[in-house]
Amino acid sequence: MEGSSRRTFVAAAGVALSGFAGCIGRAGPGAGAQDDEETTPTTTASRPTQQGIPVADDRLPVEYDFEKLREEVLSGGPPKDGIPSIDEPKFRDAGKADDELRPEDVVFGLVRNGEVRAYPQRILVHHEIVNDVVGDEPVSVTYCPLTGTAMGFERGETTFGVSGKLVNNNLVMYDRETDSRWPQVLATAISGTFEGESLREFRLVWTTWDRWKAVHPETAVLSTDTGHVRNYDNDPYGSYVPNRSGYYVRDSPLFPPLGSDGRLPNKRVVMGSRTGSGRIAFDKSVLREEGLLSGEVGGTPHLAVYDSALDTGYVYRNPEGASFGREEGAQGQVVAGDGTSYDPANLPLDRVYAFDAMWFAWSGFYPSTELVGSASESPNADAGLVG
Amino acid sequence: MATENVSRGPISLTLSRTRFAIGAALGRRDGQAVFGGVTLAYLVAYLWFSDLLAFGGRNGGEFGFVVADDPLGRFFRPANSALSFEPVALVEFGVGTYLFSLNTFVGVAIALLVGLNLAVTYVAWRQPKACGIGSSSSGVLAGIPALLSGAACCGPIVLVIFGIQASSAVLTVFEWLIPAAVVLLVGSLLWVGRQVDPALA
Repeated sequence: MEGSSRRTFVAAAGVALSGFAGCIGRAGPGAGAQDDEETTPTTTASRPTQQGIPVADDRLPVEYDFEKLREEVLSGGPPKDGIPSIDEPKFRDAGKADDELRPEDVVFGLVRNGEVRAYPQRILVHHEIVNDVVGDEPVSVTYCPLTGTAMGFERGETTFGVSGKLVNNNLVMYDRETDSRWPQVLATAISGTFEGESLREFRLVWTTWDRWKAVHPETAVLSTDTGHVRNYDNDPYGSYVPNRSGYYVRDSPLFPPLGSDGRLPNKRVVMGSRTGSGRIAFDKSVLREEGLLSGEVGGTPHLAVYDSALDTGYVYRNPEGASFGREEGAQGQVVAGDGTSYDPANLPLDRVYAFDAMWFAWSGFYPSTELVGSASESPNADAGLVG
Repeated sequence: MATENVSRGPISLTLSRTRFAIGAALGRRDGQAVFGGVTLAYLVAYLWFSDLLAFGGRNGGEFGFVVADDPLGRFFRPANSALSFEPVALVEFGVGTYLFSLNTFVGVAIALLVGLNLAVTYVAWRQPKACGIGSSSSGVLAGIPALLSGAACCGPIVLVIFGIQASSAVLTVFEWLIPAAVVLLVGSLLWVGRQVDPALA
């Protein structure tokens, strides 16, 4: 029964009716131990929780007045919790997940507190929030289909839900403790008890199932046994596999965006980072092609490194302007000026939190962004070293 | 042959004629065929448009049945948009997938109205002395807003399909599609039914 997940053969009407009693019980977690900490939150702090929610020590950058943002909030159509969060997630091991996931399916990978998990996009597109417990720590894994953003947050003693509202096409979450409203990308409450406070966030890796499984074969995978019934074969917005289609490639956002920035097409994916120096975004397709990209924001050089194993990137502060290059013939290894080889996720620099986002979403929230890798700024393809 | 009291008011007359027209339409085999065929076809289209019925998919060929946790508690819980409700069961039937929710009953109600409209329109059409072509097609036209009401169930998703940027005004229109469809269908039924003359039946 577990092998085919939520699919049980109908033997008789009586069996079908018995389903109303509760049915579809499924697997427990299949996560194995994972020693290396792939996620490096930069906004976590030791500040005590407030009303059960851990908040960051410093407010994250917000480039608009809260009043302006509140004015920009609109209904996305569904009522509050009309898109239901997953509050009792179940997991299965990689072998069983293979029955339902195609190699090219998008998953959001998480390594945290010694646990490895994958959250398939095809499930999260129907729920947007998973209130999970990872390594005894309550967290929320969140995904907004309209902005292409997958982000993790510490949630403390509360859970987050989908308010049904959007700002800049981005999911507005609400906490079930105070009903404060938290636009996902800002990770900062724009109304309610927590107005002006920011959540502690952590990195999810936007990648594909085959890549995640190859790097983390011990991963646990979110099960389609969510307690809700949805057609998880159907992405109402289009498709990421086999090729992006529908909303994901149409240039126009579904709702009017906060701003317009023609430096890139609206749906181009960037890896954005908001640092103390300013906001910087790297064109992911250019980063994929070049391997390394450098840019400067607020007078501080930053370096983006492509990880070919997971098709993702990492952003580092590089205040000394250290030089790095790609190791020839190697799968994504980065070589420092002294010849030392590093994994893209572990350069000897200060890594900053960065995540995938559609360009219109990132630039809408952060119009001051320095963009690296647009056609006009694309580095010379022959350049082996940057820094 | 039915008779009617010509001294009745226009509302009473309309109701009486419509009642007669419905009875006449459902009393004939061809009328039953139109009613049954249109109702079924409309329901399928409605469910498909509402994303509650899908064909193909990656698990084609499978048969299965899944029920949500606490299905009775979820049955009246609002989902994607106005007059849209949480699915409580999923059925895989080989070539497709069906999600059962209260919306199926909404769809059935609208489909019945569309079916009746078309069946009565058919009767009107069979009475050329009483009805012109223009009026007999009103039943067909009435189905259009009803079909669009299927879009209301998936809210802005229909805008994704057509690549249209949404606005609050458009979303408000979506909220009213189902009630508007019901009003139009009932009005259309009375309009067409009124033109069926029992004396000519």
